[in-house]
Amino acid sequence: MDVSSLIGIGDAEDLETPEGIKRLCQRINEREKQVNDNLQTLLSRKLNLETKIDSCLIKYQQLYKASICEDSKKLTSIISHTSDLAEKVSAKVRNLDTARMRATEVQKRVHDLIDLQLCSQGVMTAIKDEDYEIGARHVKRYLSMDRNILEKTADDVSSMTSVNQAVDTLEKAAKEMREIVKVKLDEAIKKNDLASVERFFKIFPQLGMYDEGIAKFTSYVCTKLSSIAEKELRQSMEIAKAEKRTQVAYADTFTNLLENVLRIIETNQPILENYYRYGHLLKMVKILQLECDDQTRRLIQEFNKNRLINRKVNQINDYIKSQSTQSSSTLGHLRKASGSMDKLNSKDLDTLIAELTIMHSRAELYVKFIRRRVSNDIEKCFIAGDMTEEEKKTALDSMESVIKKSQLSNQMQEILSTYLLFERYFMEESVIKAIGFDSHETGQLYSSMVDDVFFIVRKCIRRSIGTQSVDGVCAVINNGGACIEQELINAFRNALKSGYHSGYIDLAQAYSAFQSTIQQGKIQTNDSEMARTKFTVTLNNADKSTEYIETLFQNISEEIKVSFPNIDSHKKEMIESCLGGLKSVGDSLKTVVESGMQQLRSSAIKPRINPWIDQFQSSNHMLTDDELSVYEAGETFIQFLIVQLDGLLNSFKKVLSEKNYDILVLMLATDVTARFERAIKKCAFDRNGGLVLDKEVRSLGTFLTGATSWTVRDKMARLTQIAIILNLEKISELSEYYDTRNQEGPFTAWRLTPNEIRNILKLRTDFKIEDIKKLQL
Amino acid sequence: MEDYKFLFKVVLIGNSGVGKTCLVRRFTQGVFPKGQGATIGVDFMIKTLEVENSAGQREAVKLQIWDTAGQERFRSITQSYYRSAHALILVYDLSCQPTFDALNDWIREIQEYANPKVLKILVGNKTDRDDREIPVRVGEEFAKAHDMYFLETSSKQGENVEKLFYEIAAELIEQARQKGGLSRNHHNSSVTNLGMKNNISSFQSNCCSGGVGTNNNSSN
Ligand SMILES: Nc1nc2c(ncn2[C@@H]2O[C@H](COP(=O)(O)OP(=O)(O)OP(=O)(O)O)[C@@H](O)[C@H]2O)c(=O)[nH]1
Ligand SMILES: [Mg+2]
Repeated sequence: MDVSSLIGIGDAEDLETPEGIKRLCQRINEREKQVNDNLQTLLSRKLNLETKIDSCLIKYQQLYKASICEDSKKLTSIISHTSDLAEKVSAKVRNLDTARMRATEVQKRVHDLIDLQLCSQGVMTAIKDEDYEIGARHVKRYLSMDRNILEKTADDVSSMTSVNQAVDTLEKAAKEMREIVKVKLDEAIKKNDLASVERFFKIFPQLGMYDEGIAKFTSYVCTKLSSIAEKELRQSMEIAKAEKRTQVAYADTFTNLLENVLRIIETNQPILENYYRYGHLLKMVKILQLECDDQTRRLIQEFNKNRLINRKVNQINDYIKSQSTQSSSTLGHLRKASGSMDKLNSKDLDTLIAELTIMHSRAELYVKFIRRRVSNDIEKCFIAGDMTEEEKKTALDSMESVIKKSQLSNQMQEILSTYLLFERYFMEESVIKAIGFDSHETGQLYSSMVDDVFFIVRKCIRRSIGTQSVDGVCAVINNGGACIEQELINAFRNALKSGYHSGYIDLAQAYSAFQSTIQQGKIQTNDSEMARTKFTVTLNNADKSTEYIETLFQNISEEIKVSFPNIDSHKKEMIESCLGGLKSVGDSLKTVVESGMQQLRSSAIKPRINPWIDQFQSSNHMLTDDELSVYEAGETFIQFLIVQLDGLLNSFKKVLSEKNYDILVLMLATDVTARFERAIKKCAFDRNGGLVLDKEVRSLGTFLTGATSWTVRDKMARLTQIAIILNLEKISELSEYYDTRNQEGPFTAWRLTPNEIRNILKLRTDFKIEDIKKLQL
Repeated sequence: MEDYKFLFKVVLIGNSGVGKTCLVRRFTQGVFPKGQGATIGVDFMIKTLEVENSAGQREAVKLQIWDTAGQERFRSITQSYYRSAHALILVYDLSCQPTFDALNDWIREIQEYANPKVLKILVGNKTDRDDREIPVRVGEEFAKAHDMYFLETSSKQGENVEKLFYEIAAELIEQARQKGGLSRNHHNSSVTNLGMKNNISSFQSNCCSGGVGTNNNSSN
């Protein structure tokens, strides 16, 4: 459809002159108003119809309720009629819409034509006047026109030549402008004229030269950055000296370097957004990153050179190698502090590690900043509709690849690697030293090594958190666990290996001890006293370590949560897994404690208590009433036993940690009751004997219960039941206690089998075998 | 889903580019990834599988698979994972001689950092390629000489990938069971250790042999 016919302009107007166009414009505007009016009435009618449809629907519902069948037919026809009407109306509306759209289009084309003329005239003047902003604005206006439509318009209107002429002029002018601003920008850069640089930088996007503008401007900024950085690097040591910060001189310089780059982004991003719109930041960052990479490389080179990094790395690697060949042959043996630490100077290493940590965390922050800024810029561009979903993804991927492939990332990995090597060496050497310099003060339960070792490990892990690197933290946690297991636990194992030499010596032991004293001339009481102390202190140390591991685990988990608030769940899981590995070192520690306690049991408990309890067999358990009173008036067996046990336990209470002592009491309870049971089974009882036994077992129970905060009832269960049986008046009384259905009361479950019960009953000389046999159990 | 009886840590090591990440992805996600780039530091993935034990029962096993970076500069990160590994998979590219030549260095690393009882598997990856440089026999012999299991895989076509991890799971379960049966004591556990080596054939044979560990004791 021809535009002119559509809007009802009979004959072609004079489009050659502005007046003609204006006239045409006026008429178009009038016509548009008419069309709009028509549209309005139609639309109001449409509304009317819609209300009608609505009321029809209401009626329809009423009818539906009344007489559905007949009325529905009528209704259908009404509805279809209505819909026909609506259809027709909307068709008209559609037509009108099209008309309006075309009218707008025409308007735009007319505007374009007017502007085209204006621009082509204006641009040349602007260039002549060196008013590049105006010139650029004209070009921008021209570039915003649709070239195809422009050509079509040129075809439509009779004065084709004048349109084409204007286009030609503008094309030429645009080309000229582009050349000029390039030259001007280059000149400004050469002259280091920041104001002019910024002036032309802003003009570039108007001429459609986005990439070029950004490239030129950013390279300019980079040269400035580079000279600043060079100066700073040269002066880094002097500045540091003046500020008494020589220990972190390179970290400071590195921080400045990165901050300078970030500042460039901060200050220029608003200009970029203003004149270039969103989605261009990455281009700038890409170029800046190259400069940043270059500077980083140079700085690290300088750092490596002046801090003698390579030499230290080699020294440590050599040391580790020599250690590993050594340790594979002497596996499990205690490593000695190498002394190479003195060559390296642990304090030096300590400060160097701190510097590396700062450097890595700064780089990590820098990368975070870049990532956030660029992805925000991309997101804004996407939201503004200047970017498809697909393009956004590509842009984000491209950002990641810029970061990943940067020299900076590479250098960060190197820094982290160096840090980890140093940290591991520092931790191991310090731990070995702490173990080597272990000191124990008389009367103390623990020695210094546990506090020292855990202090060191904790310090190192905390320091790793400072790198801001998840990989770094995980590695140091892993190394910490390894170090505790390899050095500390091995030290415990070694100390416990020689066993606990009980001060008590039975005849056989005395003899062999006598022999070895003669042969080696060395075992003296003092020596064995010291060995015993070493043994118990080690047990206590191991016990304390299990607590420390748990605390370390909890503290570090907390600190990581605070220091890495926004890490993704995957990384979190990684850290948790490594922390779990650290925690599981506690299991190895528990095994150490357990086996040490077993040694204590077999050398210090069993041999002592057995002869005491066996005395039970030598006394008489068939007592007349008189004999009973005499027995009870004197020192009874149990009084003797308790005094002995009390003495034994007391000697350990002073030297064992609370938990270890509790374990010891339980072990003692187990052994005493078992031995007691054995002794009982070798004796014969009458009623009075049983009575006494029952009392004595009760006393033993009370004593053991008082000795520990843990429950010993379980350990006493069998013995208590035996005493009950032997204390029966008559066999028939057993049923009062022995009732398998009765799960309540003090004897919830019998620990004795029916057979055992019968055998114990047989110990009572006054019970008849036949009665025992007849028992229903 | 968190219902599992065993948790094992499996660590993959070997030169950069031999296909460690591809192996893990193939196993955990069933895909052969394209252009994912070299691994930075370490990555880890979890997969829970059901494995039939030697008694014929099915058991849930959670495998925590640590995929380490092969590039030299990540060594100080990756080394820290050896100690807690239950199994180490050492991978080379059978179409690339240098990756095989580097195995000795890797063995040294293992000796230095790993638990001496760790389960070790040598894997020649990329069987799908027709420019093989390492004959099967050569890989096999190397494995034998260093007390390792041996398997050739293709993460591209998926050949032997499932088998690799399932056999590891089955073997680790068997070890755990034997250890539990003996003693929790550290000194005794070397007994279990002796039983699991020199057993390359079972990995080579078809995977239908439910438990690798069943004929262990007889071999000693
Ligand atoms: N033909 C073939 N190519 C493979 C196979 N597995 C991996 N590749 C290719 O080998 C290259 C390296 O694979 P990755 O899995 O990234 O290697 P990687 O061992 O993880 O390397 P790092 O992470 O650097 O230690 C990629 O280009 C893969 O496509 C395979 O089975 N067959
Ligand atoms: Mg990888």
